[in-house]
Amino acid sequence: MDRRSAVKLMGAAAAVAGLGALPGRARAADKITIALVPGLTADGFYVTMHHGAEAAAKAVGADLIYQGAAEWNVSLQVPVLDAVIGKKPTALLIAPTDKKQLIQPLKKAFDAGIAVVCVDTFIGTGVFQTGSGDADFPLSYVASDNVLGGRMAARALAKAIGEKGKVYVSNVKPGVSTTDQREQGFKEEMKRFSGIEMLETQFNDDDANKAAAQVQAVIGRVPDLAGVFGANLFSAGGTANGVKAAGKIGKIKLAGFDAPESIVPQLKDGTFELTIAQHPAEIGYFGFMVAYANATGNPVPTAIGTGFTVMTGANIDDPKVSRYLYKSS
Amino acid sequence: MTPKPPQGNAGAALLMRIAELRAWLFLIILVVFFEVWARVAYGASFIFNVYNLQSISVFATAPLLLALGQTFVIISAGIDLSLGFVMGLASVIAAHSANFALDSLGLPPLLAMLCGILSGVIVTFVPGLVNGWLIAQLRVPPFIGTLGMYGVARGAAYLFAGGMTISVTNDWYSGIGNNRYFGVPMLVILTAIACLIMHYLLSQTRFGQHTYAMGASQPAARRAGINIRALTMQIYFLSAIMAGVAGALYTGRFSAGAPQAGEPLLLDSIAAVVIGGASLFGGSGNIAGTIAGALVIAVIQYGLVFIDVEPFWQFIAVGAVIIISVLVDQTQRKFLGGRQVE
Repeated sequence: MDRRSAVKLMGAAAAVAGLGALPGRARAADKITIALVPGLTADGFYVTMHHGAEAAAKAVGADLIYQGAAEWNVSLQVPVLDAVIGKKPTALLIAPTDKKQLIQPLKKAFDAGIAVVCVDTFIGTGVFQTGSGDADFPLSYVASDNVLGGRMAARALAKAIGEKGKVYVSNVKPGVSTTDQREQGFKEEMKRFSGIEMLETQFNDDDANKAAAQVQAVIGRVPDLAGVFGANLFSAGGTANGVKAAGKIGKIKLAGFDAPESIVPQLKDGTFELTIAQHPAEIGYFGFMVAYANATGNPVPTAIGTGFTVMTGANIDDPKVSRYLYKSS
Repeated sequence: MTPKPPQGNAGAALLMRIAELRAWLFLIILVVFFEVWARVAYGASFIFNVYNLQSISVFATAPLLLALGQTFVIISAGIDLSLGFVMGLASVIAAHSANFALDSLGLPPLLAMLCGILSGVIVTFVPGLVNGWLIAQLRVPPFIGTLGMYGVARGAAYLFAGGMTISVTNDWYSGIGNNRYFGVPMLVILTAIACLIMHYLLSQTRFGQHTYAMGASQPAARRAGINIRALTMQIYFLSAIMAGVAGALYTGRFSAGAPQAGEPLLLDSIAAVVIGGASLFGGSGNIAGTIAGALVIAVIQYGLVFIDVEPFWQFIAVGAVIIISVLVDQTQRKFLGGRQVE
């Protein structure tokens, strides 16, 4: 509170002093700069997050630096991070590419007096400011609640298959926090439907070829398979190909996760019954606002869960839905 | 170039014959195992089932296409680790070119598809020739040279793709990846043609015979007048082209070019060649074995899902088959009286 009043007082003083050259220069030097380091650049999800952060920067008149690596890789992200730290931003928004390996590099930023906010992914446990562990120093974790996303997928898919039948999850590999949580939420929610039977999860190693073969094998054994939840784009895309090869498009309902623009024709032609769109723009916007609020002396929450939108072939033309498609540029 | 067993040892000869056919033997054992399990547990047939046959054969095509080129490389006592991302690069370029030909040049979909496939294959000339040049001219060990190319092709694929998958809307192109003719998937027909060509190259041409000779003993092959440099270039060139074909077909099947398309397939391709009877020390192996090896992997992975076994067993099963296969290879060598290879 004290600091905030001080800032206000300074602002007032500057205003009183008039809009001469001197306060203008002082203000430029004091201008808040917030950096955003995505998991990878040129990915629709992060591009959209960047748009959200830009909107927030514009709204409050702060500066935004956007720098990242071309690929999801710790050893590529860390040099970018070091370079960004070198620019001494007021705060840093980052989607860490690894829970453990990014702890020390981010500690460096924190020790240099740069506030750290995790967006989308996290370090340590993702629970911050608790005073325990070596990775609780970030201010806040702003991301989709993936368990909730899995639950929403389950509800929407259950409705699509008339709340009865057999379903399974096509997942990448065990140990990935976000996709694990989606699967967890999906399974928990499906338990509430007595008519729905969960089959064994299939792991495809991000191999669309394998995801396709797996769904074909499951169909071979369980001809009355009713639905599949693909926990990420590759799982969903590969599964769709297998369902198509088995001639079961429309009979087996597919729920996907994430919403690049290329998903629209597949929703319309029935390849996908639905997909769960995250709100990356919200993550960028609120992540930026958390960092800004902190920099201006305001208290901030240690976690913010952003929302989801269920997209279907029927609602995708509605601008209220389609605005959540990830932008490619 | 089947190695001759020591004379007058009928038992050893028989064992060797079996060892050579081990991949097919594995395949039969696996099929019988899954057939029995499926009948007992589900009252369904595993193998007398057109749907399963279609699914498994399509599943095997992608790793098999990579494995065909890899067979030549491994027989020559080399290894090509770059194949996975060369395939991804081809897939991305094929997608971009097919889209460009359709949207910007206004070509009909059939021609656009051909443009895509051709560009995807042609782009692999670069990694193929560079691999060959590194290994043949600069004497870089194949493991290191192709590992470097693995990184370069990976970066190039991601750069061209901008970190995304490139979707392709072209009925002809998706047809080649998904249509069936008289019940046989187009992908399987194309892969079978590739197998026949590769089998011919390996077993009927001088190029194939020289590949065996080089793998068995490079100094001997050189003394026999084989141009090792030119041969090495050709082998890695061929291997990259097969990855290009695999990538271009992947784009058709999934209607998208993906940089990471072949990444998980690289190790499967090496496993298929080794299970198929090739030795990593070079000098032995054949296309029929590689086909069996690729089918073994596909049958295990498909079959375990079909009979509803916990997914992690898949890794163990494939690993176990590789180990057994290499052990059989070692035993075979012993019976050959420690035939020396370089």
